[in-house]
Amino acid sequence: MKTKQFIAAAILLGSLVGTSQAATDFGEGVNRDYLVPVSILMASPEDYLENAVTIEGTIVGVCEHRGCWMTIASDKRFQTLRIKVKDGEMVFPLTARGKKALATGQLQALRYDLEQTREIKAHYAKEAGEAFDAASVTEPMTMYQLVPTGVSILD
Amino acid sequence: MIKWFKSINWYRLNRNLHRDIGYFCIGFSIIFAVSGIAVNHIADWNPNYAVERQTKQVDDSDWLTLDDQQIIQRMQSSFDLTQAVKSSFWQNKNQFEVFLDDGDTLFWDRRQHQVSYQDIEPRVILQALNKLHLNETRNAWVYFSDLFAGMLIFLALSALFMVKGKHGPAKPKSIVLMSLGVFIPAFFLFLS
Repeated sequence: MKTKQFIAAAILLGSLVGTSQAATDFGEGVNRDYLVPVSILMASPEDYLENAVTIEGTIVGVCEHRGCWMTIASDKRFQTLRIKVKDGEMVFPLTARGKKALATGQLQALRYDLEQTREIKAHYAKEAGEAFDAASVTEPMTMYQLVPTGVSILD
Repeated sequence: MIKWFKSINWYRLNRNLHRDIGYFCIGFSIIFAVSGIAVNHIADWNPNYAVERQTKQVDDSDWLTLDDQQIIQRMQSSFDLTQAVKSSFWQNKNQFEVFLDDGDTLFWDRRQHQVSYQDIEPRVILQALNKLHLNETRNAWVYFSDLFAGMLIFLALSALFMVKGKHGPAKPKSIVLMSLGVFIPAFFLFLS
């Protein structure tokens, strides 16, 4: 009887643990027909705001707490593009860092005023360990992120 | 039909259903409660991963003369690591990140002359419970979750008919306790 109970518990636990490791595809799937290199996309992002696009690259950052965003490295040096979902819509695993990913979705423009731009740039400068002069920022900036409908993390 | 209807002992039926559904809900309740606590405090700790960071000062004076593979070897040897490398990435000209096979990362900050090692350990059980709680599995689990919610409603309402006499639901103490269950959430709604 005890053996049966142990087996039942092991199956339950195993199925729970199994569900946490299996999924590497999220959402509706990716469409390679829309593939655009990140460097091309970021060279003229306003041209792509209306259409679905697919990007490909190495995952170099993942939201540690909620798994609600990932940063994808561009084919251009030092350039990245963030993929952002609503909390819980897709949960990207922290262990995905360093793997290749494909993501299909809509490019979104985040337009900041001058004050916000200075705060964001100050934050980035602090992270990079660089000096920052707020007065040097005189133009508001626009940042771009991909809101995906499908993401595939390649093992 | 009416005779049969009248012959049912509703009090006993309610108690039996409350008892058996209660047993059935124990597992569900523990899963949702444990992951609920974990997710509630997501700002204070990471419920899905145990993340440890170690940082070491390194003599990196000649590292810029090396290629990426050689830099990676130096970074790994700083922490005596042997894991395979998945990929690497220059964030900018001063910061280089290496992604190791098991999800761990190494980070070289050239300005600070530091290498940091981030060790990631998935909290396997808690991660699985959170996945169910946050309904990441979707599909059939949606129906199970709805069923569980329905059973909780039944347990709450059937509790009103479990006890008769001085501890019954119409007694002052019971009314106060039931009212608290409504007023406490209402109070927090008012505060928000």
